[in-house]
Amino acid sequence: MESEIKTQSPQQKIKTFDQKNWISENLNYKKDSGSWAWIFHRISGIALIGYLFLHIYSLSPLTKGEIAFNNKMATFSSPVFMVIEWLLFAFVLFHALNGIRIVIVDWADGARYHKQLYTLSWVVGIILFISMGVIMFSHEVKNLF
Amino acid sequence: MFKYRVSKNSGSGSWVVQRITGLALVVLMIGHYILMHYQPESGHTYQAVLARMQFSWYRIIDLSFLTLGMYHGLNGIWNIFRDYKMSQWAKLSMLSGLIIFGLAFLAWGFTIIFSIPYLS
Repeated sequence: MESEIKTQSPQQKIKTFDQKNWISENLNYKKDSGSWAWIFHRISGIALIGYLFLHIYSLSPLTKGEIAFNNKMATFSSPVFMVIEWLLFAFVLFHALNGIRIVIVDWADGARYHKQLYTLSWVVGIILFISMGVIMFSHEVKNLF
Repeated sequence: MFKYRVSKNSGSGSWVVQRITGLALVVLMIGHYILMHYQPESGHTYQAVLARMQFSWYRIIDLSFLTLGMYHGLNGIWNIFRDYKMSQWAKLSMLSGLIIFGLAFLAWGFTIIFSIPYLS
């Protein structure tokens, strides 16, 4: 380490973040599991707040009474929407499990094993995602036959 | 004097609140999913919603779920904005935009829940 410091000339530029090429700078940055967790947490968070707005909008026919609401719900119960809902559950799962991981890291000394927690959240998440698929679609599949 | 204007608010309060609301949302979300998807019929018809909404405690849970979700989500969006360098004007307009947008949708959600009648 010491020899390395000695060979560095004072004129040598410290690598700074290139604001103009922020996309390539971000993409070239070496990513660890924590970076991926951060990225996915952000993407899923944006998707979920977007969905909350959509959810309020889609439930608004409740004010117009039974027929309007049930018509709307019939659309959302179609297989295409159910698959979309299932994918939405993936976002919910990641955000919830990684959120628990963040709380453990912050408050329960989880920084020592945050990478294991990240792997664990993927394992638990995939298991729950598949079981939710079984629960949601077993009913549909029974209707088919 | 200070060379730069520095906020006295470190943001640690909102950091704690973000964690607490997040944990509360995880619990509420488990209930929401059991109710809505464990039995396909339970959440998806007007009759089912009407029957559920006869219990005031259920309305209270729904309203707090909505409020917590809205706060947690918009505070999260605001945290994303805060990661970037912004002028004072951009900061103020984005924050007020988020608050107005959030309050409007929150009010809409509250109206929807309150519009469901009690069958006496």
